[in-house]
Amino acid sequence: MWWVADADAGSDTADGEGGGEAGDPDAGSDTADGPTGQSGSDGEADRESPSAPTGGIVVPVEPTPTLRATVAHAVETAVDDGFATIHLVEIASWRNGDPGADDRAASAERVLERAEAWALSDLDDLDGERPSVTVATELIGADEYLFGPDDYVRVLAAYAEEHGADAVLLDPEYTPVGNTTLLQPLEFALSNTSLSVETAPVTRPTRRERLRSEATGTRFVAMFGFSLAFYLVLGDPFYWFDWVTGVATAAIVSITLSRVSIDTEPAVPRTPMRVLRGVIYVPVLLFEIVKANVEVARVILDPRLPIEPTMNRMRVIVGSGLPLMTLANSITLTPGTLTVRARDSDLYVHSLIPSARDGLFDGSLERWTRFVYYGRASARLPTPRERDDCAILQGPDATEELPIAAADGGASPGDEDGEAEAEGVTDA
Amino acid sequence: MDALGTARVGLVVAFTLLGLFFSFVSMTGVLRLPDVYSRAHTASQADTLGAGFGLAAVALAIGWEAAGVKSVLLLLFIFVTNPTAAHAIARAAFEEGTVPWTEGDERR
Repeated sequence: MWWVADADAGSDTADGEGGGEAGDPDAGSDTADGPTGQSGSDGEADRESPSAPTGGIVVPVEPTPTLRATVAHAVETAVDDGFATIHLVEIASWRNGDPGADDRAASAERVLERAEAWALSDLDDLDGERPSVTVATELIGADEYLFGPDDYVRVLAAYAEEHGADAVLLDPEYTPVGNTTLLQPLEFALSNTSLSVETAPVTRPTRRERLRSEATGTRFVAMFGFSLAFYLVLGDPFYWFDWVTGVATAAIVSITLSRVSIDTEPAVPRTPMRVLRGVIYVPVLLFEIVKANVEVARVILDPRLPIEPTMNRMRVIVGSGLPLMTLANSITLTPGTLTVRARDSDLYVHSLIPSARDGLFDGSLERWTRFVYYGRASARLPTPRERDDCAILQGPDATEELPIAAADGGASPGDEDGEAEAEGVTDA
Repeated sequence: MDALGTARVGLVVAFTLLGLFFSFVSMTGVLRLPDVYSRAHTASQADTLGAGFGLAAVALAIGWEAAGVKSVLLLLFIFVTNPTAAHAIARAAFEEGTVPWTEGDERR
């Protein structure tokens, strides 16, 4: 068993050895432990008594600036700790069948090939006899959308089990989803598995360099143009002073927020097509809102108040991030349905009347969201009802338990609701 | 006033009345519905159309001027922020462990 090196430890040693080449393994990892102090002692104690795993080590691969050094470290680790196989895996952040999925798979294959070539050449460069370490590459997870660290870990763990691997080496810059930092959540989720986890103690390129390379380019331009246009709509586009202040404001906004607000690179023709299809979607959504609003208004104004509220669960097939947000907000905008919780690809939706629930399970909003983001071909898919991806969690038709602490915690529904609630609060 | 102007005034009045109607429904719903989830439905949704029709009437009355364009923008923002706020409230209730009211429970 080894240590879990702090991800930031690597960056502290940024002076000196640039690439983290295969040359001197111990020097590299010792300096990584050094500056942090408290984690150093742990690591060394463990290294003295290696209960070396023998199967394989899994390295999730993304084209990061530190990939080269991570591969080098994986080779060192495999040789020192006696792993038989280095599994270089790329976890797909897309789903087969999405437009462009083939292109992305092809570029992922190229990254894998490059990483494999690095690993093999590192193995060849080792002094003495070439150790019997094999290198395997694989693209995994492309048959479904992966939403959060838990999904990534599930896919990784399944792969590791299948191939008899028992350790994971993380690239400190590993960010599979846009620019969201997944490293710490990934480490945490991995710590709940039987896999042992290490973050490669490699030196990163300085932050400034990375910011510069990401903030320039299309994201910045898109953000700048959008902010300036918005500013001028609010101001007077024919007054020179508004242009001066507008340019300054847009510059500040895009410098600070272009990496935060835009998580996928805008691309032609994808982005304009999305905007165009979004414009088509708006009247459809408006019509749905008005239609459902009339139904709900009738129920509310009815003296008998004939509501049958239930909580429901629906597994949706849209990508994480913006598409999921669009779908969840569309569901909430449509009266009678309210998105309560989005847990990975599961949406928990509260419905006020059965007809709203049926409309939800028919999945027309889901198909429209797919149309907006992925185009017409991707919008054809079975309804959640046909896919069996939906469940009612309450009432006489309930097919699943309500995932609320207070729900299974006891008091019979109806008489002592207040107490049930109080219990839920203390449990949480 | 020409026919076009009369039609426009008529639409403005109609939109205002519709906005008032849906705001009224929203208020009634908040008072009558039993729990936080169902109230979040009506508070945000009927309100979307209430404010929506109101702003549409404003935009129509002002016409193609800066203020009219701004009220259309306001409309767009309401359509983004309203469901987000409703979701935040419902999610907070859910995480606190509030069980949604179902038929047969006592009205509160």
